[in-house]
Amino acid sequence: MKILYSQIKELVSDLKATPRNVGEALTNIGFMMDGFEEVTYRGKKDYLLGLEIRQNRADCLSVVGLSREVAAYYGLKIKLPEVTPVSFLSDEPSVKVESEKLVKRVLALNMEGLKNEESPKWLKEILSFYDMNSINLLVDLSNYVMIYTGYPSHLIDSSKVKGRIRWATNKEKKKFTTLDDTTITLDGKNELTIEDDEKILALAGIIGGKEAAIDHKTQTIFMEMAIYDYDSIRQNARNLRIVTEASNRLEKNLDPNSAYYAFQLLTSLIIKHCNGAVCSGLYDYYPEKRLTPSIKFNPDKVSIFAGIEIPTNQSRKILSDLDFSVDDKNKKLWVIQPPISRTDVEMEEDVIEEVIRIFGYDKIPFDKVPKIEVVKDITSRNVLLSKKVRDVLSPLGFDEILSWPLTKAGENEGTNYKDWDILKLQNSVNEDFPDLRQSIGTGLVSQFREYQKNNVDKIRIFEIGRVFGKKGDDYYEEELLGILMNTTSNIGVSGARGVMETTLRSLGIKEIKYEKADRKPKIANPYSCWDVYVKTVKVGILYKLSLEKSNGNTYFVEVNMNKITDMLDKFKIIPTVEITKKLVILDANIETKKDESLNKYLNTIKGKIPDSKVWSMEVVDKFELDKKTRYTVRVTYRELSDQEAKNIHLLAFSTKVK
Amino acid sequence: MINIGQDLEKEIASIKSEEDFKQIRSKYLGAKGIIKGALKELANMSIEEKKVQGPLIQQAKKEAENILDEKEKQLQSLIFDRNLLEQAEDLDMKLPKIGHLHPITHTINKLDSFFSRMGYSIMDGSEIETDEYCFQRLNVPTGHPARDMQDTLYIKEPHHLLRTQTSSIEAHILEENKPPFKAVCSGRVYRNERVNSSNHFVFHHYQGVVVLEKVSLKDLFGTFDALFKEMYGPDVVVRYRNKYYPEVEPGVGPDMRCFGCQGKGCTICKGVGWIEMGGAGIIHPNVLEMANIDKDKWMGFAFGLGLDRWVMAKYNIHDIRTLLGGNLGYKYYENENTI
Repeated sequence: MKILYSQIKELVSDLKATPRNVGEALTNIGFMMDGFEEVTYRGKKDYLLGLEIRQNRADCLSVVGLSREVAAYYGLKIKLPEVTPVSFLSDEPSVKVESEKLVKRVLALNMEGLKNEESPKWLKEILSFYDMNSINLLVDLSNYVMIYTGYPSHLIDSSKVKGRIRWATNKEKKKFTTLDDTTITLDGKNELTIEDDEKILALAGIIGGKEAAIDHKTQTIFMEMAIYDYDSIRQNARNLRIVTEASNRLEKNLDPNSAYYAFQLLTSLIIKHCNGAVCSGLYDYYPEKRLTPSIKFNPDKVSIFAGIEIPTNQSRKILSDLDFSVDDKNKKLWVIQPPISRTDVEMEEDVIEEVIRIFGYDKIPFDKVPKIEVVKDITSRNVLLSKKVRDVLSPLGFDEILSWPLTKAGENEGTNYKDWDILKLQNSVNEDFPDLRQSIGTGLVSQFREYQKNNVDKIRIFEIGRVFGKKGDDYYEEELLGILMNTTSNIGVSGARGVMETTLRSLGIKEIKYEKADRKPKIANPYSCWDVYVKTVKVGILYKLSLEKSNGNTYFVEVNMNKITDMLDKFKIIPTVEITKKLVILDANIETKKDESLNKYLNTIKGKIPDSKVWSMEVVDKFELDKKTRYTVRVTYRELSDQEAKNIHLLAFSTKVK
Repeated sequence: MINIGQDLEKEIASIKSEEDFKQIRSKYLGAKGIIKGALKELANMSIEEKKVQGPLIQQAKKEAENILDEKEKQLQSLIFDRNLLEQAEDLDMKLPKIGHLHPITHTINKLDSFFSRMGYSIMDGSEIETDEYCFQRLNVPTGHPARDMQDTLYIKEPHHLLRTQTSSIEAHILEENKPPFKAVCSGRVYRNERVNSSNHFVFHHYQGVVVLEKVSLKDLFGTFDALFKEMYGPDVVVRYRNKYYPEVEPGVGPDMRCFGCQGKGCTICKGVGWIEMGGAGIIHPNVLEMANIDKDKWMGFAFGLGLDRWVMAKYNIHDIRTLLGGNLGYKYYENENTI
């Protein structure tokens, strides 16, 4: 919302503050100044302030509303222009409100004998400050009153109207051409319209139609000012993608009572500038009159909320300056009534905010750090785990990246290995990226390609982020760690495995195992693709990428952080032991069938060796035979004599010890 | 009778290997060596001769032993050094790669560290949210004008969406914990924006929520003041102004004086002289009530900060897409000082 300094000064005549100070004051009390420009208006130097209007202050999308705020801040009086009372005839215009739920108030009348022409210079000038083109005098006056009071109105050339004017909801697909000559299709989703017997005259609260538009020949008009259910205006404007100065005001909670002053002001201005006269009675549809609320208010709470003492006298004065009525017969519980235009003030906290904002946030000390009150720690383990993973991976030479959670259509197919369906967005404006990612791999691979394209070498990257999917009507979201490494050395897939194990084991995870993957992503080399298990829980995947254009070999690991967090909740590892005897190292050869799982075999062996006697157990060699695979398993025993260790080893492996 | 010294010195000077040394030692001190030979000859001598020659031979023996022992030590030292030389390695001057955390993570870590010291817990929450937790529980009912600010990405309208603000985590924290508590959380938030150099559909928020028996705007400002000084140094200038957010009442907009122009107005601050840092305020009683927190017993404050603009300014990143795309690179031999 823009406002000229002279417009405020005209209403608050005792204002002494400079234009910039006024802008800063408005900023302080909730309307941030985002523009300040020296301009010329009516041949004099003036200042145009740009202000961000609080979303719940529809009344301040107007010169009058903002001037009220300035007056209250400086404790000054505001004087609105007096309106010459308009005489109405007895016969009301032929109007019917059919959509009673959506229309709160309609003020309407007919005028005749008008002389419409080009607007005077001052009017054109003022509209130009609001980026509005001058159309003709009648339309410009209507816009001027909207800027001045905050209430949009709509003028229709009544010579172009057939029959009765009705407020109705549209339930059909219909074409409609707006004032600015844009043809749109209404989709019949209960758009609120103003219609006559033949056509749509306007999209109520949004924009008028071309067919009954005012032009220079217009002599008779139907004039209406209405307040609607703001939610329906917002929905209609959003659905039809039309945002106008009118819809911007009427989709907020505007007070219907104050419309009467605006309506009278517009009528009197039209009579003054376009001659003519009112030729009907006043149609005033206002079935549920809005009343100002009575709010119980404990004045002591102001100081509690602010954190400093604000005397009750000062609270009383601020409320009075804001034109609130204050009944303080009960010293501890006042009864407050906001002015009727203030639809945003409904409860005690609203009143508290009013007092503190006008008192000034700048008067509250800002450098007093609150006393630290010790409360229970509710920190999420997931957060701690992610921090630790980052701290492990970066010293290992891995760079963290953050990638897009949305993917191109078809991109998920390359990296997905879950039994989820793709989760799509319903309304993304980024049509090229309709799907949510199912694997961190989409982002890491795309980053990898980008780096290679730009000659970046030593690509070792990771990301911790969310992936999404659905099964039936259930949505899934998991936090995953993805690691991608590209190498021209011969460390191979085992190098990638090493990075992952270093990470997981430094978190306290043990018994990490691998099985040939059940479901293999398309970008994986199917012969180098493993599911990763911790004990019996599948926690992720490890594979070599089969990329066509790639220098060196590239490997990818993905681990489900939520599952790891759950596991850390369940088991606690204390790896510290006392060494009082020499460790005993013994190997054993075992042979498995090609399709047989080594993990199952090793689990059986582990069951036969007391955990307290094992220092470590690892597969140190692998040799492919015709139909079998031979592994050398090395077990290091602790706190046993050579003979005791051999006995246990023999028993466990039931085979010859090397 | 024997004068070993000079001969031995000459021979030792000619030693080229351990083998040479062994031969010379054997020649002088071995079983068939010169000293043994002299001692054998001594047996055939008269007592008088023995009295004269005996000590001389013993002296010669001792002299030879001393010379040879000394030489052996020298030789061992040489061998040891030769072995070291053989095992020696030269420096590979290739640069080892250092990994880096994302600048957003660095910023979050710094904020988390600050708030941990202030006694806050650190929480997280899901990115898929329901309308209830993203809006309704934050006092943004259907049709509320504040939804203008949120152009939401829907998974299934109207109930399931991608969170538009980390306040949704706040709604869960309020519901799932009994006061008193203090918590911060951070994460990605989504808006239905077209992507260009200054807008993105995904960006990052940092959220805080405190529920105690008594809180005030002074406490909130004091917390922010310490935070901004931590992040930007003691000279940072911050102003607090009234601002509307449905979840708080009174609401606060903290702005930092633009570091690009010191308040004069520039492209970074769009000519305003101040940079909006987020939103805050005293938690609205409706929000507490919806979380079943007794509003007459407990008060709270909450705040939300946008991280992307901070990070872009600090790291001199001009295009918001860089934060989440292929253009972000790390110079692999340099790292950020995180101490």
